[in-house]
Amino acid sequence: MQRVRIILWALVAVALAAFAFLMLRPVNETPTQQQPLAISSIGGPFTLTGSEGRPFSSTALAAKPYAIFFGFTHCPDVCPTTLARMVRLRQQLGAGDRPFEILFVTVDPERDGPAEVGKYAELFNSPVTGLTGSPAQIEQVKKQFGIFSQKVPDSSGGYSVDHTATVLLFDRKGDFSGTISPEEGDKAALAKLKRITA
Amino acid sequence: MKRILLAALLLASCSKSGTADLQISDASARETVAGQTATAAYMTIHNRGAGDDRLVSVEAAAPAKAMLHVSESSDGISRMREMDAGLALPAGAAVHLKPGGTHVMITGLGAPLRASDVMKLRLKFEKSGPRDVDVAVGAGGR
Repeated sequence: MQRVRIILWALVAVALAAFAFLMLRPVNETPTQQQPLAISSIGGPFTLTGSEGRPFSSTALAAKPYAIFFGFTHCPDVCPTTLARMVRLRQQLGAGDRPFEILFVTVDPERDGPAEVGKYAELFNSPVTGLTGSPAQIEQVKKQFGIFSQKVPDSSGGYSVDHTATVLLFDRKGDFSGTISPEEGDKAALAKLKRITA
Repeated sequence: MKRILLAALLLASCSKSGTADLQISDASARETVAGQTATAAYMTIHNRGAGDDRLVSVEAAAPAKAMLHVSESSDGISRMREMDAGLALPAGAAVHLKPGGTHVMITGLGAPLRASDVMKLRLKFEKSGPRDVDVAVGAGGR
């Protein structure tokens, strides 16, 4: 009897330890950001390379609202879907023909040079600025904008890239204003775009 | 009661063994630009038969390769994964391959796909065998 009781108490201890472990471990083991960023510090000045191989400085965005999206040109689904949607929303906004800029920054600079991002941006039949840079520059900009990306090998010997698919919005003053997620409805997205273009 | 529930659960999870009758419609792919070797194809597969089926693999004309993929997003991060087990096509259901979800990923395109081109894909089904599909290439802005 005594033995059974000891075994039962041991089981209780194990269950408690397991419970404590489940409660105390981080809920989400995938980092959504490399570093937690204070909202006001998201963004900031950067220099990357444009489609013609010339430097593109964020000073070119002075007094212009913009939407910035990070992806890669080998991304066949989410990236073109997101960019095509931003172009469509920009048309729907109906506040002049270019009420805000759309920037596409590659998180795969090893495969995406200036020509690749430039041609990719042309797919959308509307002005989209494709940007790349050295791996170090891209890392820096990812950090500034709180973007996560990670290469994942596929069975054909290539790789895909997991990445933050949220569009970040900046107002005329260059201040971070909000985000548009792929799951979010057009109505909410348009309201946010109205805010940055006001 | 528990036993009845378990039996019901087992029954429900059993596949229906009748004949599948697949109808494939709205097959489309995004156009690509020079140097871009990957795109995605979408379609609707309606199984009007009494039996379940499964899309096991997809083949594209060489040198291109096709893979069945699913895009998922959580915590704002988008991930694309191969569907190793294929795509279930339950009897009576229409399964949509659509942007941001299940899609056929095409890689290694030898030449750009232009709007109004037609791309050939061969879909291989567990029960219904191979089926050739003409995929209409559409403008990327859509």
